[in-house]
Amino acid sequence: MPGLVLGLPLADTNFVDATWIMIVKSIVIFLVILNIVPILLLVERKLLGRFQQRYGPNRVGPYGIMQPLADVGKLLSKQSFRPKGAVPILYELAPALTIISAVLTIAILPFGDVKGDVGFYGIDVPIGILYFFAFSSIAFYGLLLGGWASGSKYSFLGAMRAAAQLISYEIAMGLALLGVVIMAGSLSLVDIVKAQGEVWYVVPQFVGFLIFMVGGFAETNRPPFDLPEADAELVAGYGTEYGGMRFGSYFFAEYMEILIVSGIASTMFLGGWMGPGPGWMDPIWMLFKMWMLAMFFIWIRATLPRFRYDQLMSFGWKILLPLATLNVLVTAILVVAT
Amino acid sequence: MEQIAFFCGAIGALGGAIAVVALKNPFYSVLALVIHLVFLAGIFLLLMAQFLAAALIVVYAGAVMVLYVFVAAYVGGIEEPRWDSSPELKLIGPIAAIALFVAISIAIVGSGLSALSTTGPDDIPAGFGTPEAVGHLMMEDFLIAFEAASILLLLAAVAAIVLAGRRREDPNKLPKGGESS
Repeated sequence: MPGLVLGLPLADTNFVDATWIMIVKSIVIFLVILNIVPILLLVERKLLGRFQQRYGPNRVGPYGIMQPLADVGKLLSKQSFRPKGAVPILYELAPALTIISAVLTIAILPFGDVKGDVGFYGIDVPIGILYFFAFSSIAFYGLLLGGWASGSKYSFLGAMRAAAQLISYEIAMGLALLGVVIMAGSLSLVDIVKAQGEVWYVVPQFVGFLIFMVGGFAETNRPPFDLPEADAELVAGYGTEYGGMRFGSYFFAEYMEILIVSGIASTMFLGGWMGPGPGWMDPIWMLFKMWMLAMFFIWIRATLPRFRYDQLMSFGWKILLPLATLNVLVTAILVVAT
Repeated sequence: MEQIAFFCGAIGALGGAIAVVALKNPFYSVLALVIHLVFLAGIFLLLMAQFLAAALIVVYAGAVMVLYVFVAAYVGGIEEPRWDSSPELKLIGPIAAIALFVAISIAIVGSGLSALSTTGPDDIPAGFGTPEAVGHLMMEDFLIAFEAASILLLLAAVAAIVLAGRRREDPNKLPKGGESS
């Protein structure tokens, strides 16, 4: 039976808490993720420094741990500048669109099962993973509008690259997750985690995991797929003309998306909240897995050089997509046969 | 609350649809179509058709419209000369449009409007609008229609590849090097 939230009929969800619990837990989840982002930023800069045999930030506070605070203070106090050739409203709207869709996607990450009256997740929608894809496609319009409305050639080229990259990699990414969905028999992220009680899907779906991670790098515009930003060729791609907290929004959204892709990968392939220890450890395990995958993102950034544009496209269409299709086909046959 | 949500969605969807036709710049038209689709997905959600809402955003806003935006952004800046239609077309065009409007009106009045006057079913069946329910409908009740549609799409995809491949065989027309993909 559909529940009611703020008087609105909620489309059929698997478990609905009381309204006040929902408000409290959305604030908690938002604050936790929001506070992980600056830590991730600092750790990335520190780690990159170590990878490149230098110190990384170490001036602000002991070991440089206050650096993110200083960065945010600087971004917030900067002038909100709009270049002359930019399109007025769209230019301001674009970064907001990106960060709003990133924050909304956090809602479906499950940090634990239903305990008492509280489900340890924002909301458990039966369309599950489609929700993630829906908002990641809206996030793309943030990049595209930003690049287009800046009125700069570099921004425009960055935005066009983002468009081409998105349509090439989202299909392979979706197909990679389809194998998991077929095995679990559900789209709901909570049900998928519960179905991994015996063996994590990273074992039977290893090909799917690899394809999803490659697609995830492309989706978040991280190296080696950071062509929309490509600082050696396009200055900073779609974000060239942005400064201050508008740039900060793009930046925050990028790191939030790293956490989201890590969270989805942990949920779909690495058993989500499952791990040894008592029940209250569940959210910690989930955060731990997300964190380790985010570290993997940083490791790859320090290791691999950037792809060329045509390499990126042919890799997506000629290798990843057939591989993902084959993976789905084999999974479907095996599931039906056994 | 439900009414407010519905009217917000309806105004957004209609406004977006009108803007698609009314705006001069093709890039803004495409953006208006995206806005229309997002609000339409909201109305689908109010009707408990959540799978349809998600599919609308993922497939149309996320894939089809991205291609449209891509094309509109690349070639949209060009001012096209106003196209003068022939006198026959000026006559046939409105007639065809009116005929289509009448046909759709008959279809709506005949089937849809009778449902509008009621308050709708009191109990929505459990799992209505979920992927499971839609999947059962497509794979059991409407299998032939579903397969026919997928074969049609497959044919279109193959045809597109064949057409694009034929043009590439002419080496004089395709510039070499650069960002080709």
